Amino acid sequence: MSILIEQLLNAAALSALLFLVSVGLSLVFGILRVVNFAHGVFYMLGAYFSFTAVALSGRFWLSLVAVPVVVGLFGALLESSTLRFIYRRPPIYQLLLTFGIALILEEGVRLVYGPTAKPMDPPAALQGAISVAGITYPRYRLFLIGLGIVVALGIWLLLKRTRAGLVIRAVAQNSEMADCLGADVQRVRTLVFGFACALAGLGGVAAAPMTSAYLGMGISVIVDAFVVVVVGGLGSIGGSMAGSLIVGAAQTWGGFYFSETAMVIMYAVMGAILIFRPQGLFGEEE
Amino acid sequence: MKTNRREFVKAGLVGGIGIGLGFPAFLRRAYAAEPIKIGLPAALSGGYAQYGVQAKRACELYAKEVKARGGILGRPLEFIYEDTAGDPATAVRKAQKLVEKDGVKFLTGVALSSEALAVSAKCPEWKVIFMSTINGAGALTAKSWNRYFFRVNTSGPMGARAVSLYLIESPMKKFFALGSDYAWGRDSVGSFDKLITSAGKEIVGKDYPPVGTKDFASYVTKVRQSGAQGCYLALPGQDATIFFKQAYQFGLTREVKPIMEIVELENIKAVGDAMVGTIGGSRYPFTLDTPRNREFVKRFHETYNMYPDMFDGETYEGVDWLAQVIQKVGGDDVEKVIEAWEDSPYEGLEGSFFMRKCDHQAVQPGFVVEAVKDPKYPHPIPKIVATYPGDKVTPKCRTEDFA
Repeated sequence: MSILIEQLLNAAALSALLFLVSVGLSLVFGILRVVNFAHGVFYMLGAYFSFTAVALSGRFWLSLVAVPVVVGLFGALLESSTLRFIYRRPPIYQLLLTFGIALILEEGVRLVYGPTAKPMDPPAALQGAISVAGITYPRYRLFLIGLGIVVALGIWLLLKRTRAGLVIRAVAQNSEMADCLGADVQRVRTLVFGFACALAGLGGVAAAPMTSAYLGMGISVIVDAFVVVVVGGLGSIGGSMAGSLIVGAAQTWGGFYFSETAMVIMYAVMGAILIFRPQGLFGEEE
Repeated sequence: MKTNRREFVKAGLVGGIGIGLGFPAFLRRAYAAEPIKIGLPAALSGGYAQYGVQAKRACELYAKEVKARGGILGRPLEFIYEDTAGDPATAVRKAQKLVEKDGVKFLTGVALSSEALAVSAKCPEWKVIFMSTINGAGALTAKSWNRYFFRVNTSGPMGARAVSLYLIESPMKKFFALGSDYAWGRDSVGSFDKLITSAGKEIVGKDYPPVGTKDFASYVTKVRQSGAQGCYLALPGQDATIFFKQAYQFGLTREVKPIMEIVELENIKAVGDAMVGTIGGSRYPFTLDTPRNREFVKRFHETYNMYPDMFDGETYEGVDWLAQVIQKVGGDDVEKVIEAWEDSPYEGLEGSFFMRKCDHQAVQPGFVVEAVKDPKYPHPIPKIVATYPGDKVTPKCRTEDFA
């Protein structure tokens, strides 16, 4: 029983992290119609910037708030200086551009921070483990689960209950019509791209105490995030949530019971969904 | 006539002095301008850059010291660096460039064993010496050996031998083995399994997480459930960092002793306190308490504001030993250097070395270290917990195991 609870919590913590990354990827595709290969790199930037912020200020909580803002601004800047000019071109251009940005930023981080991983510790309040339901569990992982739930709720409220959310949904559904009705589509795109990058940055800040900040963390997370988005459906927030839970559970349970085939299980789930429901669990058919 | 003769004598004197002093001085200068060149086709970028960078900074420090004492045999020592990015084909190309264009007679600083095997195979044709200070693959001094290859560093089998001798003596009885799911991880777990079983101890579980695993939580649960006292880890750099981080947060590393093939400073720095208590082999632990090493660590720290890692130390010893052999031979003739180096002793940072003739493997002590906290240092350090003499850890000539 205690193993069951422990594995459930493990799956939930991993899912929360996957959600923070994949939801931005999904949003960008839904609104900009761009498959953003550089998304994982913003996650990595979040982790490295957080390392710097904590080294300078000594405050993890400050970096949890400030770093996503910085990463988001940086993302918005990149969108308005590069991506903006090629929306009308075939998707292969956007793929090449975002892939190029990913490579440049990755090498940039290597130049600035060096090849060695940067260790991070959870803030003092979240260090160590506590007893929950008969098992001892790391506090930090419980915090991750909470963070995932709060962010998911926040995004849902933003999209469904605010005027900004209404405009975003309008642009997602039909950007030309939204343009005609007076929405500033260009600005919405920049803001959404920046917001998505900020979420990835938040994911990086949250992941750093669990995995440390290292080169290649962006590439490794983007693969899982793509699986999440394919399973859940491109452009759907609920889909990202469901996809994160499925992939997180598949990796955790698979790793525990049949570790040698854990990866196969994850991709088998993705394959089955592509065959039987190509638009993903929550995606809409085009 | 008189004056003429006097002038003639004067001119002769001047000319004689000119020949006696000036010309040889000119010759001396020409001779001195001919440097002794050592080429490093090293991985200076890419995923293995840390090893190439270590070799490079050790050589730069050594070059500075040689320059300060006036060179070798009055000739300057010159290192030439080329980036291979860790790719065997590039390594061969860069090595060829160093040999043919720059005229180096000695190659060193190659980071990966795959690169080393490729470069070493070409050396008999190029007639240059390849001195390994990093490469671990047993085959380099066994089935793939040629007489132009010298290995100054502790080989992989030697390092593994030291750790296994330590574990056989230790009171731990039950072990879990965790290896990344690819050739190296599985091979390492396989040999660990054989070792533990043959020592009459027990493997209570083993598992193979995929390369690039981000969340080791389920493996942590499994290790804890198994009741193991020690957990052997064959995970590549980044995966090991993540494992330690998470195992520490779950409190696993306080219950189960982590064991690694190699404990590097680079990893300790990346993991931080979570790595404290881990035991493993070390090719060169900077905490070695020999007078030469204390001096070296001090100079290294003054120059780079950090402590030397394994291949800083091993490369420094390598180039220093090579320089001593060149000094002894009185020149950099490759064949003469090979002959003089064979069966010669050397007093290095780690203690006494001996370059055996049969496969050019330097016999040297093997170390087992434990990562410990020490308030004098900004990060945990490798503390030596056992030292084994060279004859106990070096495989027989031209072999790579201890069967």
